[in-house]
Amino acid sequence: MTVAAPAMTSRGPERSRRRIKIPNERLFYAVLGFVGLLVVWEFASNFDLDPSTPGVQGLVKRILMSAPTLIWKAGVEDFSSGAIWPHITISLQEWFYGFIISCFLGISLGLSLGWFRRFRLATQPLVSALYSTPTIALFPLIVLIAGIGLESKVILVVLASIFAVIINTMVGVQSVSWKHLEIASSFGASQTQIVRSVVLPTTIPFILTGVRLAAGRSLVGVVVAEFQAANQGVGFYIALNGQTLNTARVFIGLVLLGGFGIFVGELVRLVENRFDAWRPSIHR
Amino acid sequence: MTSAPATQDLALSARGVRMEYLDRGTRERFVAIESLDLDIKQGEFVTIVGPSGCGKSTFVKLVNGLLSASQGEILVRSVAKGKSDAMVFQDSALFPWYKIIDNVSYGLVCAGVSKKQAHERAMPLIKLVGLGGFENKYPYQLSGGMQQRANLARALCVDPAILLMDEPFAALDAQTREVMQAELLRIWRGAEAEGGARKTVLFITHQIEEAVFLSDRVVVMSARPGRIMEDIRIDLPRPRDLHVKRTPEFQEYQEQIWQLIASQLKAAASQFGGSKE
Ligand SMILES: Nc1ncnc2c1ncn2[C@@H]1O[C@H](COP(=O)(O)OP(=O)(O)OP(=O)(O)O)[C@@H](O)[C@H]1O
Ligand SMILES: [Mg+2]
Repeated sequence: MTVAAPAMTSRGPERSRRRIKIPNERLFYAVLGFVGLLVVWEFASNFDLDPSTPGVQGLVKRILMSAPTLIWKAGVEDFSSGAIWPHITISLQEWFYGFIISCFLGISLGLSLGWFRRFRLATQPLVSALYSTPTIALFPLIVLIAGIGLESKVILVVLASIFAVIINTMVGVQSVSWKHLEIASSFGASQTQIVRSVVLPTTIPFILTGVRLAAGRSLVGVVVAEFQAANQGVGFYIALNGQTLNTARVFIGLVLLGGFGIFVGELVRLVENRFDAWRPSIHR
Repeated sequence: MTSAPATQDLALSARGVRMEYLDRGTRERFVAIESLDLDIKQGEFVTIVGPSGCGKSTFVKLVNGLLSASQGEILVRSVAKGKSDAMVFQDSALFPWYKIIDNVSYGLVCAGVSKKQAHERAMPLIKLVGLGGFENKYPYQLSGGMQQRANLARALCVDPAILLMDEPFAALDAQTREVMQAELLRIWRGAEAEGGARKTVLFITHQIEEAVFLSDRVVVMSARPGRIMEDIRIDLPRPRDLHVKRTPEFQEYQEQIWQLIASQLKAAASQFGGSKE
């Protein structure tokens, strides 16, 4: 007598053993996706519907969307001539100062706002108002006060990014478990020890979320400021080449910004990993 | 923290303790403990039982110094070395961001002992509670029972004269709980064998069986506002193992305490029923 065995799924380790091992999975898939996009893009921009007017009637219009090879050529030109370096260094400077000030000032303000109730009550309306004001609306005022040099850009970058840090840090402090505080004082911890052993460990994930957001927002701040009033910087480079229909160079600017975004994101991720050992990992 | 000559061998002495909570919003006073007297001798294991909300946790926090009484006084024997008292909290009371060894040595670090020295002093206690080999794990990597062992080790690590335990096993399943009860008695004896004086324990539970099994005395509190209703000496031979729970004497103690609590629950029920004015 034969009875059909009930269908069962193996949940043992066999399944994963059969998979191909890729040494650096993250990098592998990131590169794969990127290269795929380039290939499709290049192919589409070279595929002319009307061969008599190359680049005009393509599947994508080359004059608007350029092509990876054209961007590469323009990039080699601008880098070897050195024309692009001042733009990069000035933008980096604006970003770096703004971001660092946002982090330090934002974390200290966020910690104090979270810890001192009266301070929070006194400043909450102001913080909320500034947080929801589009930063660009403040730029004319900033230019009047600080001119059109580095200072005004840095101020705008700080304003664009600091509230993400302040508010996340503050929420982090407020989410400190009352029970953990009780345990700390039960063992006779001093104020400093309480901050070090309870408040900071609870708050750090929130701080890092704020810093991650700030990294992106500060980059937006840089570009917005350079769009408004500048004669240098990656944002200015993009705006200028956009106006002259030099789309390949617009894309160079975008690539620079994108690469920079990835770099900063990875940097924050490294810091995050350093602080994440005590949490069960969702993956693997 | 002073000790009068008459209270020589007392580890804890509470006199006329009254505790009122002040509601910040309404400015109303809420009496949690009416008037409480309790003496605990050095080395005694005393358990408080009583209906929910009668002020047991409040009393333990008063002893620990987390709260201060509105009236009356609590004297805790001061010790030359170590801390006078330490608390074993309910479930998940470890700091999740610290390894077990850092959790266990927390009290010492707070007292200003260097981290290295604190770790050295924590290791024997980690072994005593049966967590040897887990000192570098994080709390999430331990089972509930193991976490409570670490919790106990953390309190023992500051070498307290009196150990305060507020429902430490409440979150454990019935089996683990029984194991932990027997373990607690073993550790209690073990700490003594290691040369220290026998620890005084103030234990709180809702389980009558647990109270009888562990204690030298079971103190029954009345419904809120809390007073002490009955103080029952448990004359069961030590060392005890889990078999003692099957003896008729054990069951008699259980029955007696159950009757007392049941009467309080009835009183509380009629109080709630009749409180609509
Ligand atoms: N921080 C507080 N503020 C105001 N009232 C409180 C506070 N803590 C406890 N109470 C009140 O005091 C009374 C005693 O509380 P407590 O926690 O001591 O009870 P308990 O005996 O430990 O109860 P359980 O057995 O449920 O743990 C309760 O009625 C509670 O409402
Ligand atoms: Mg309680």
